[in-house]
Amino acid sequence: MSILERDVNAPASWNGNLPVTSRYTFGLAGERFFRAIKDEGRLYGTHCPNCNRTYVPAASFCERCLSELTEWIDVGLVGEVHTFTLLHENYDGSPRETPEVVAFIRMEDGGLVHRIDEIQPDEIEIGLHVEAVFKPKVERNGSILDILYFKPANL
Amino acid sequence: MTAKITNFPGTPLGEEDFAEGKVLFNYDQMHGDFAWDTGIAIGRYLAALKEGIILGARCATCRKTVVPPRTVCEWCFRPMQEYVPLQDSGIVNTFSLCYVTWDVQRIKEPEIPAVIEIDGASPLHGIMHKIGGVDPQKVHIGMRVKAVWRPPSEREGAITDIMYFKPIEEV
Repeated sequence: MSILERDVNAPASWNGNLPVTSRYTFGLAGERFFRAIKDEGRLYGTHCPNCNRTYVPAASFCERCLSELTEWIDVGLVGEVHTFTLLHENYDGSPRETPEVVAFIRMEDGGLVHRIDEIQPDEIEIGLHVEAVFKPKVERNGSILDILYFKPANL
Repeated sequence: MTAKITNFPGTPLGEEDFAEGKVLFNYDQMHGDFAWDTGIAIGRYLAALKEGIILGARCATCRKTVVPPRTVCEWCFRPMQEYVPLQDSGIVNTFSLCYVTWDVQRIKEPEIPAVIEIDGASPLHGIMHKIGGVDPQKVHIGMRVKAVWRPPSEREGAITDIMYFKPIEEV
């Protein structure tokens, strides 16, 4: 075996895993926003009277004028599809039989990224009004996934 | 610099705040899987460890023997002449008594990482490993040590096929 030949019996690769875990807290405004989802099943935004804007999800400070926001507004459960995409693959790369629909749902001057369901994918269009569907209260743990998905709203 | 500050601004959080559900949080685990190609020389090195041999490489031009082996001499950039089996003993070049584990847990019995100059390699050439089977206070630079190998059936072609280096009884 020459010096530049690979030993076929040698381990070809060294396999490892980086055990990185994270715990993300939502911050002062985020904490109140997710508490409201968990306990009330409501979505809140904060209003800036200076700029006449309402941020969803709620924020502590106006990103335009940097003033502190104290006016909390129940923004309801209905938003408008701003843009969407169909996912034909799962997170692990395996194919899906029916596509998963992920959309940015505009609410006031902000919005949420979430799933859309209870509608055929080819019927979804930009501008469609959709309504949040929550998990039962006992199963909610203060996460964005306490909302199962958005469904077409009955207006 | 922070010694003068008695009250830090913000909202401090303790482990009990998470346990008691006082604060909401999102727990996540990164998929940090990786595969590192062993290459030609390190592949040979790992295969040799499985056989209970520490392998080096010799440059005929520089008359240097390095460990772990490589295919190209890092001094003259010529190809190495050959792989050479070395002794599984050596001399402690430097060491540390380490009272924390890699994930920052405090431990009472220190781990002793050390650079060991392997017998058969050129002077000052060695590998990093652990020292064991010794009173930590008695470890010293220049101490002669010998590899303690795993039983052949448990070896997997890894640097951990050597469990640690143990002092050779000085006569």
